[in-house]
Amino acid sequence: MPPRKRPPQPTNASETPPEVKTRISPPSKLCAAAPPAPGPAPSVSILPANILGSFPPPEREIYKLVFSGGDKGMTQTDIRIKMGMTASTLTKHMRALVNTKGVLKVVTNVHKRGEKIYMDARVDPSPEITGGTWYRNGQLDSEAVASVRLRCLDQVEKLGVATADSILSGISRDYPSVGYSIEQIRDILRTMALDMVLEEVRSTGVGEFSDLRAGRVCYRRGGAPQGGMMEGIPCGVCPRIDECSPEGVISPSTCVYYKKWLQMDF
Amino acid sequence: MVSQHGILLAAGIIFDHFGPLVSKVCRCLLRHGALPLQEIVRRLDLSPGQVKNSLLVLIQHNCVQAFSSPRGGGDKTATHYLAIFDNILHRLRFSKFLSVIRADIPESEALLEGLLHNGRLTFDQLVERAIYKVTEGSIRPAREEIRMNFNKLVYAHYVERCPKPEPFVDPLQDEQPTSTRKRVPKTVGKDLSFDKKVVNTAALSDAEKFSEIPYITEDASHANDSPHSAIAGAKRKHEALGVDEELNSTIAENEVLWRANFEKFIFCLKKKFCAERKKPKLRVGTRPIWEAFFEANLTNKDDNSVTSPLNGILARVGQKEGGTSMTIDHVTRVLEELNCSPSSEDPDAFTLDLSRIVEASRYEEMESLVKKKYGQEAFTIFRLLVTQDCPVETDKIIDTTILDKQIVHGTLYKLWKDDYIDSERIASGTGTGNSQFFVWRVKNTFQEQFIDNLYHAALNLRQMINYIIELLLEGSKDETKLRHRKNILILALTRHDDSLMLFHDF
Repeated sequence: MPPRKRPPQPTNASETPPEVKTRISPPSKLCAAAPPAPGPAPSVSILPANILGSFPPPEREIYKLVFSGGDKGMTQTDIRIKMGMTASTLTKHMRALVNTKGVLKVVTNVHKRGEKIYMDARVDPSPEITGGTWYRNGQLDSEAVASVRLRCLDQVEKLGVATADSILSGISRDYPSVGYSIEQIRDILRTMALDMVLEEVRSTGVGEFSDLRAGRVCYRRGGAPQGGMMEGIPCGVCPRIDECSPEGVISPSTCVYYKKWLQMDF
Repeated sequence: MVSQHGILLAAGIIFDHFGPLVSKVCRCLLRHGALPLQEIVRRLDLSPGQVKNSLLVLIQHNCVQAFSSPRGGGDKTATHYLAIFDNILHRLRFSKFLSVIRADIPESEALLEGLLHNGRLTFDQLVERAIYKVTEGSIRPAREEIRMNFNKLVYAHYVERCPKPEPFVDPLQDEQPTSTRKRVPKTVGKDLSFDKKVVNTAALSDAEKFSEIPYITEDASHANDSPHSAIAGAKRKHEALGVDEELNSTIAENEVLWRANFEKFIFCLKKKFCAERKKPKLRVGTRPIWEAFFEANLTNKDDNSVTSPLNGILARVGQKEGGTSMTIDHVTRVLEELNCSPSSEDPDAFTLDLSRIVEASRYEEMESLVKKKYGQEAFTIFRLLVTQDCPVETDKIIDTTILDKQIVHGTLYKLWKDDYIDSERIASGTGTGNSQFFVWRVKNTFQEQFIDNLYHAALNLRQMINYIIELLLEGSKDETKLRHRKNILILALTRHDDSLMLFHDF
């Protein structure tokens, strides 16, 4: 299993809707490619020599090292090992670079919340570190997710059968203030299909799909939930089923769940 | 190899129907595979007579198949007995089989009931039974009428001629020496294939199995007529009580043993299950076409598909509400949307692959249980793992499901702990920032585990029913309530049996 690929950088931060962070490509696409090498975001270049020249040599080296970590940044342990410094010396320099000079910043890794990551103050952290588009301050923004799901569902109910594009345009028309990207909508639709709230189908181009080109991925309301034959009896969901045996301490004739189910309290 | 609770359930069914001795023999055979008589006697510490009688009962009720197999290196052979697990379990669903006949050939229901009660009977015995069962005051059925109703069952493949009593099967051809058959089987695939091989070797060809009883010519029937039981006004007069005389003339027919063809009944139930299962998901206007497709089905080439002629479908659609306005193009298009494809053999017929519905239904059942047991998040994660063909890495699960990391981790752990999913640790390459990854997938043995739980639940339901029966026999004062509870349990077992069929028989 290859490691996750880092999603691309957001292209236009100003268009980001209030409840979401940055725009990312869908996870399925990301995982298909090889992981990119860490490096600074293309739009951000290293600080000019005159500014760097004013830094003490150890801080200059530390900055260069952290900058080479790009949007993935670098942990304090990595910096300490690579610089060969003691922890106390490094802490002093880091404090200067972050607080006094303001050229580096500290970011919390969503996957390792106790671990601080340093990176150039001008670089936007990789979604791999922030958690991606649906995370805010390292926490999943459940409200934002729930709100988009509701809006997507509204659109599907209005349209009957809809593509991700038509759902997005419907949301943009009904809620002009929000600016979801198509990737965000696709992510949400994919989870809704997993939850069976929606059904993912391919257009046949005829019948209810007559307005859609054949072969396009569409979404429609999921049918009534199926299954549950096993759940009708106590044993179906019994947490002690592995300990139950005909002659054992736990057996159907001594089972409290059966007694409750059959109301055998008479 | 049948799972542990499957064996207990089968032995429990035999215990309830035939008593402890037969159940003991059956359990021994299910546990150890095919065994010769002496070996069963040795293992169970019963007398040869007791074991022999038990085997006869089991053979009579199609629960055991005898076969001869080479003994030692010479030409000598020994008779082995193999328990047929599927047929034992079918005893749970006789009422369902009868309801199939009641809907299709109601006049033949009593004949099938006779075969289900007695396992295997000759036609002669069936006639005797039919006459014996006639209530006072009602008309005694004519032999010819019984024969006609019986032939309807054979023609529709609901009844078949019994398999060969003792075919020769060489286990060595299956790369499995006789000695290992005596031990507890270790491999699943080989045992299944060997059991199947025995059953297949014993089975007759379709032409033999479903060869009807020929009608006796007018002259022959008149020659055997007895004036005592002739039915006035009947065109063809046959004896109802002159069985012995007729037996002499048609000895070949009356010596043939018949039994219910369980495969056909299971197929009918499978068809019904699939038709019903998809109904709630159907869009407005497609339900009459879906129903018409199943109603128009006449013959099937295999047990996994249903084929119906377009003319038949259209005729039945026309009889349904709103069906008259449907054009051929519309019906054809809807059929294709419903995954019914034009048949390869007949361009004017449509075929539906039932195995896809069965497979989807199995997953729906498993997913539904996960949801009920572990919640919505577990359901989403489990569905993701089911839909992916490869193991999925933890972070990808978090990204794709858009669930909180902590919840995903906790849920994965619960599912892993309860043997729903497998995890694998993958050492990371350099430069990824992590030293290792965990990938997850649905456990290969999960379905087997699920089926074992189904058997366990059925076993418990049976035990509960027996427990209530015991309470009733003890004369509890709450007899009405107990009877009510017993009915609930019986109903629950009948419904639960649908799950067993879905996972084991369909």
